[in-house]
Amino acid sequence: MSLIEAVTVPKWGMTMTEGTITQWMVNEGDTIARGQEILEIETTKVTNVLEAAASGTLRRIVLQQGTTAPVGALAGVITDDAATTEEIDAFIATYADRLGAGEGGDAGSAAPRIVEVEGGTVNLLEAGEGDDVVLFLHGFGGDLSTWLFNQPPLAETIRTVAVDLPGHGASSPVDGDVLAKIVSAVSAAVQDLAPGRLHLVGHSFGGAVAARIAAAQPSRVASLTLIAPVGLSRQMSRDFLVDFIAAERRRPLLNVLERLFADPAKITNDMVEGTLRFKRLEGVPEALTAIADTIAGQDGQLLSIREPLAGLNCPVMLIWGEQDQIVPVPDAGTLPANLTLRILPDTGHMPQMEASATVNQAILENIRKASQ
Amino acid sequence: MPKKSFRQALNEALHSEMARDPRVIMMGEDLTGGAGANGVKDAWGGPFGVTRGLLDAFGPERIRDTPISEAAFIGAAAGAALTGLRPIAEIMFVDFAGVCLDQIMNQAAKFRYMFGGRAKTPLVIRATYGAGSRSGSQHTQALYPIFTHIPGLKVVIPSNPYDAKGLLLQAIRDDDPVIFLEHKMLYDTVGEVPDASYTIPFGEARVVRDGKDVLIVAIGRMVGVAEEAARQLAADGISACVVDPRTTSPLDEETLLDVAEGIGRIIIVDEANPRCSVATDISALFADKCFDALKAPIKLVTAPHTPVPYAPNLEDVYVPTPDAVAKAARSIVKR
Repeated sequence: MSLIEAVTVPKWGMTMTEGTITQWMVNEGDTIARGQEILEIETTKVTNVLEAAASGTLRRIVLQQGTTAPVGALAGVITDDAATTEEIDAFIATYADRLGAGEGGDAGSAAPRIVEVEGGTVNLLEAGEGDDVVLFLHGFGGDLSTWLFNQPPLAETIRTVAVDLPGHGASSPVDGDVLAKIVSAVSAAVQDLAPGRLHLVGHSFGGAVAARIAAAQPSRVASLTLIAPVGLSRQMSRDFLVDFIAAERRRPLLNVLERLFADPAKITNDMVEGTLRFKRLEGVPEALTAIADTIAGQDGQLLSIREPLAGLNCPVMLIWGEQDQIVPVPDAGTLPANLTLRILPDTGHMPQMEASATVNQAILENIRKASQ
Repeated sequence: MPKKSFRQALNEALHSEMARDPRVIMMGEDLTGGAGANGVKDAWGGPFGVTRGLLDAFGPERIRDTPISEAAFIGAAAGAALTGLRPIAEIMFVDFAGVCLDQIMNQAAKFRYMFGGRAKTPLVIRATYGAGSRSGSQHTQALYPIFTHIPGLKVVIPSNPYDAKGLLLQAIRDDDPVIFLEHKMLYDTVGEVPDASYTIPFGEARVVRDGKDVLIVAIGRMVGVAEEAARQLAADGISACVVDPRTTSPLDEETLLDVAEGIGRIIIVDEANPRCSVATDISALFADKCFDALKAPIKLVTAPHTPVPYAPNLEDVYVPTPDAVAKAARSIVKR
């Protein structure tokens, strides 16, 4: 039986409904390797490159450059040598009714919503179905769109909730003991939404929040996937925190954000503008300063998540970008024994964006371990 | 995030800043529009409904209706600013600025300079501008080039509700005279605007849309025209970057040059008349500072050098359209 694999318009972010083909990076007849970058697609929020999900030959380009099509629409066809023209035509015909139909794709489109908690509000975005819930917690200065490339694919098989941590995105700031209050606000926000088991996915400062939630509710947390979390070593770029807070304009902020990625070209204008928007809100600079002072001082990191993690019985996976300039990869020999460390090459402090397919597989793998 | 109209965003900024700072006052013609009619207080909030509710919230001491004499009340506002208040004066149509240009150009704009930096003039002059409302030649001009030409003035031209709120809050908190221009045809446009206060610094352009084939610089209402043109161009496989300077004085030269150098093909869209305009000024900037990066001539898409026509069909032709912008872009991208 011949292989016929669809290349479709992906869903990058829960609110994405369509994308514009800006560039095919390969031509019809070219041999494609799985994981090869083949197609550049632009949305209202991001321009990104699609990787091939299968190896073979690009036999047909269905959506030409400049075409705007709904999520899930067939952009091209990859096949093996055995596939006939008739088989390919029949395959394309099954997708024809999706073109221009304006459908939001399999997972549909979703909008964030505000949940009232004691002392403020938490903005969150839900997607997917099921009893277990994957809870995404972004890092310092981020927001729930950090999970642009992760939440939609995971939501195809499991219920997911991404939150704006207090003081970030559209969630209200907290003061005082900021870490404790953030942990409390996030826990309260998802209490009713996710009564079942939680699979926590935390990035950087969100990793410390995840570790605290797991330590407080060990019976409820089924797995923990931490991406470049703070709290496992002393090393940390405090300059990043200081410069991020100080950057009030586009160019200085872009210079700061570029440190997050191994490839600075990954920064989109939308990321810069979105970050500026939340940083300008009254009360946010003060809230960020309080969080930064909790994370690191002149001598490096101030938080430790070793003790909370060492006491957990659930699977705990660490994912780190080899070229992380913000929180460098810790010495594996010093980590608690119950942690699994995976280091990704050519990746900086944002593996969930720079190596999203690998990170998504790792999260699912860790979730599966929890059920074994 | 809540969605609000351009008008609501401005009204929210005025409300919150007057509540925050008791030195902020407003003055102008018909600001309290409808007050007193049939016992109704503050019925329609000025000629365009932007100041609705302010009289009720802050009283006639801080919301002052004035006689139809721009020279008098702009002069009074400049003096009030010099002596410790933070007045917001509304000129109903910017076309009437000629009546009070001495107060703006020779007085307010000069105080800081002539008093050796020791005088502050925290004056905001709000005014409507722009064609499209069938209001005739004397109510529809885009006169921002005149104010941009005058040193000592800051000139702000928001293109969307989010920027309108953040830029107006920045204007009221600024210690220099600011000309804040609102396009009449934008008042009903809707966009995401946070409830909380926020300010947008002057002299910072917004990159509205990423793109790599052509840069479209657009001001005020023309930003929407440029975005529509960019969508048309995308359908042809042409990737257009759109940049909105937001303020013409100060002008964010750094962002404009940064983006232009990476693209090399430039369109400038401006509703104002083309001679001695912001479009020609920005064009000269590119010619002077990044000539070697240019791959094609800089194209300007502007109104013709005529008054704004009253006849609807002619007014429609007068205002730059997405088709005209897209056509100009195609002419230089194919080179």
